[in-house]
Amino acid sequence: MTARIIMKMAVADTRAITDSVRVITLRHPRRAHLPKPTPGSHVDLHLPGGQIRQYSLCGDPDDDTVYQIAVKREDDGRGASRWIHDNLTAGGVIPVSAPRNNFPLAQAERHVFVAGGIGITPILPMTRHLARHNIPFELHYCAHAARDAPFLPALREVCGPRLSTYFSIAGDRPPARLDVETLLKSVTPGTHVYCCGPQRLTQAFRAAANNWPESYVHCEVFKPTLDENFVAEPFDVKLASTGEVLRIPANKSALDVLRAHGVGLPSSCEFGICGSCACRYVDGTVIHRDSVLDITARQEQMILCVSRARVSVTLDL
Amino acid sequence: MLETRLAERSASPTKWSGGRLLHIHIAPAASFEMEEIEEANFIAGRGIEGDRYFLGTGTYSPKPDYREVTLFEIETLEALARNDPPLQSGPIMLAPEDHRRNLTVRGVPLNHLVGKRFRVGQAVLYGGRLNFPCRYIEELLGLPLYLPLYNRSGLNCRIEKGAVVRRGDPVEPLDD
Repeated sequence: MTARIIMKMAVADTRAITDSVRVITLRHPRRAHLPKPTPGSHVDLHLPGGQIRQYSLCGDPDDDTVYQIAVKREDDGRGASRWIHDNLTAGGVIPVSAPRNNFPLAQAERHVFVAGGIGITPILPMTRHLARHNIPFELHYCAHAARDAPFLPALREVCGPRLSTYFSIAGDRPPARLDVETLLKSVTPGTHVYCCGPQRLTQAFRAAANNWPESYVHCEVFKPTLDENFVAEPFDVKLASTGEVLRIPANKSALDVLRAHGVGLPSSCEFGICGSCACRYVDGTVIHRDSVLDITARQEQMILCVSRARVSVTLDL
Repeated sequence: MLETRLAERSASPTKWSGGRLLHIHIAPAASFEMEEIEEANFIAGRGIEGDRYFLGTGTYSPKPDYREVTLFEIETLEALARNDPPLQSGPIMLAPEDHRRNLTVRGVPLNHLVGKRFRVGQAVLYGGRLNFPCRYIEELLGLPLYLPLYNRSGLNCRIEKGAVVRRGDPVEPLDD
């Protein structure tokens, strides 16, 4: 996770697109141009009471003047979607983070998407992007019924014959079910496959893609921003230059212990945000708990003030 | 020799007659965009009313420090905009609301005010320490700012005497 600016944005428009889904258009009161999202990005909404909820951006990825999200009312949920449906009206203000993308489009010659219900939101801008750049794709979209399927008219327009729909209630016609396993068997080599939707669908998708190379399979998963259940364990830090081994107790950071042993290290925020105490490691399994290093940097660096290791780690010190 | 020269230098104060406060910005919590305000209530020993370091909601609030109010030179923004010194591939356009310090000033040599008292409008500030660039701001803005802000990242201050401070107020040295 990287730090992202939080902007107080104004609700420019809100409208129902199905019985349970509202599309909310957010505009910045002063900035004409917003931090630009890429297809598949999401933003965090900061709700009153401290709740933070992630919503995929579903608008045109080339339009940087507004953000659009689609929120499904979940009456059995934790309350965020209810609050948004009932309280977020045109003219309202809500803090929104700059976009982040955990579900990016891969560089590929061909893409196959599987979406279920509200899971269509990150995939709509992806199809817009691919259609605009004439990159081959197909979209398999499952929903309870056509009238419950968010963005169906927009998808028909954007995707044309590349869209296949599967509705369990389809009027006079027999219900259509997507067989994910057969679908994945039929795709041509080199195709990247994506899935976003209810757990049942993503589980079937993952099972069907079980023997695929991991880098070709993309599933949208929203991770909590803070792991409240993390329990720190003691571990050993070995200094590569001297071979000295220091024990880091569960209640102390590596930074603290290194300092106490006379290893002078820069630091600033001391809770994983600023990056000052980044240190290269040469061996060991690091439990990264910072909010600053990206996935590539984490291959060789750790943030000593918050990150820990499983059993032991050798630092390039 | 060197010691004598240093002693002479510290004995002769910086010749600086004063500058001006151009912008006041505050943010309600860490990572929130800075918002410009016309006037600000400086509370001695605490901070600017409504700002994250007054409210205890800043990125660095858990660390005791001089952060009641932070200042930044507009001359630095102007230098970044002409890529001076040429540390990166091109100019960096950084607006006063983007550097995340509270006050943007012109004609105030911040690096000379460490350990000094000075006046902003009717408020009196004490220059606690030079601000140090941090990776956090790079992440937040998506701009390569760490190196270009080295040694010109602003001044962290304590408020010795509170007052309502307004945009355009003079910034003046205090003889002490």
